Amino acid sequence: MKNKDSYGKKTKTRLLWIIVFLVIWETIAQSRTFPEAIFPSLPVIAKALGDSVVSGEILLQTGWSLALILQGLLVGLAAAVLLSSLAVRSRIFDGLVDTLTAIAHPLPGIALLPLIIIWFGTGTLAILVIIVHSVIWPMILNITTGFRAIPPIYKETGLNLGLNQVRIIKDIMIPASLPYVLSGIRIGWARAWRALISAEMIFGAVGLKGGLGWYIFKQRVFMDTPGIFAGLFVIVLIGIVVEDCVFAAFEERTVKKWGMI
Amino acid sequence: MRLKIIAGILLAAFFGLTLAGCQTEGKAQAKKPEIRIAEQYGLAYAPLQIIKEKKLIEKNLPQIEVTWRQLGNTTAIREAMLAGELDVGFMAIPPFLIGWDKGMDWKIACGLSSTPVGLVANKDDIQSIKDFTPKDKIALPQPGSVQHILLSMACEKLWGDPKRLDNLLVTLDHPDGMNALLARREVSAHFTTPPYLFKELENPGMHQILDGREAMGEDFTFVVGVATAKFYQDQPEVYHALLKAIEEALSFMEKNPAETRRILADAYQIDENELQKYLDHPDTDYSMEVKGVMKFADFMQKNRYINRKPANLEEVLWK
Repeated sequence: MKNKDSYGKKTKTRLLWIIVFLVIWETIAQSRTFPEAIFPSLPVIAKALGDSVVSGEILLQTGWSLALILQGLLVGLAAAVLLSSLAVRSRIFDGLVDTLTAIAHPLPGIALLPLIIIWFGTGTLAILVIIVHSVIWPMILNITTGFRAIPPIYKETGLNLGLNQVRIIKDIMIPASLPYVLSGIRIGWARAWRALISAEMIFGAVGLKGGLGWYIFKQRVFMDTPGIFAGLFVIVLIGIVVEDCVFAAFEERTVKKWGMI
Repeated sequence: MRLKIIAGILLAAFFGLTLAGCQTEGKAQAKKPEIRIAEQYGLAYAPLQIIKEKKLIEKNLPQIEVTWRQLGNTTAIREAMLAGELDVGFMAIPPFLIGWDKGMDWKIACGLSSTPVGLVANKDDIQSIKDFTPKDKIALPQPGSVQHILLSMACEKLWGDPKRLDNLLVTLDHPDGMNALLARREVSAHFTTPPYLFKELENPGMHQILDGREAMGEDFTFVVGVATAKFYQDQPEVYHALLKAIEEALSFMEKNPAETRRILADAYQIDENELQKYLDHPDTDYSMEVKGVMKFADFMQKNRYINRKPANLEEVLWK
């Protein structure tokens, strides 16, 4: 009960601040200090958003982006879990994963773009590679930390019960390190969004399948500032929905229910 | 209570910054005359290199402060001009028209150059735009660019549908586009200008399937100089000094070919012989005349790239 109250309170203060921001925005826009092409007013932005929802374009592009992100996140998560499990079990692998992370973690995906174009072209595969690259390293860091924080007795109990390696990972190590894994996924999700939008803004088909980043870029080249804000609004909305609903609900049902945090 | 304090600090910081912004603007106006010019990369901008090297603007207006900026694409130039950071930008006609359509207070000051523009394909079975399959991709700088409009024109001529190939487009800037074309992976054609155009055609198997003039159906100015209304009205003497400098640069290029070659080879890091070949190309022409605006405007309005078009050329030309 107490939890629900604090949740409601959080929503209330958040709403309050959003309203404050909107009022400030509209006041500045109405004061006509800046030309409309720089600072459009809220109704104009709402109309641009409405138009692109009605035409179906923004929904289509958003769907495309979300599908790509989901794929990238899943591949990245699977690879990160695999590499982290290997790293905590063998010293040699630990060295390898550690070195790889040290090399690749500081490299922004966009800096690799020229190479990625030459190696993987400019299609879906290239964008997936950039997403996987940007999510896998922070996830590995989080997951290995989580695995290492598990008291050895958990694993030993599992071994005593005669569990095999896969079940030890699946039933003991992942649940026991779930808070770490979860924060890894959270970071991965945020990183994936950024990587995806930047990659899409740099290349993407002019046609149907360009994604949300492409949508924003297209509004930019045709100087449709309200359209740019419409695209940004959708990104923010998805970010809030995923954070407040998906992650919060998952947490509620797992680590909070188990009393881990 | 604490929330209120934080809110107060945020608001104060916000208005403080806004005011600071206004102040610097005020200072800039009181300063000595200045001109801020943006260009892009490519041989089409060659006269500007001569102006820079020979300091032709400073020659006519000794006390002036000239700032040159090289930006990667027209959209960035347009945004900087909208934000009041630039006075003059050099760009192609379609992006100028898009800005004009959306209410930007700017007009064309002069033409600068015409240059070869070509669509280069890397597959033998692509001999014309008819031969593209849904698997092919065509790289060009961005939608709304002159290359995109030219391709749309060619499509309209062939199929009556300007957007026919839009689903195949990928936006890459010229260097990345060239790499992608030469890698022969997904990108099977690249719409580009010199020096990239010539460099690509030097590679075996690369061939040009469409050129700009063919798509447009007539000669057109590739790069025009665009000036904001504020600059034109507030600093007429600087505006005229710029036009005079361009005029002098063009006549310098004609009279001193050897020195021109040396300056340009230096500026673009190209071998002098190769550069001469580019300059000798029949489609390369440097002139202040402005050609093709109305044809672009007609086409772009008809196909909804812009919502309104100028009634005549004079409407979008300073003078």
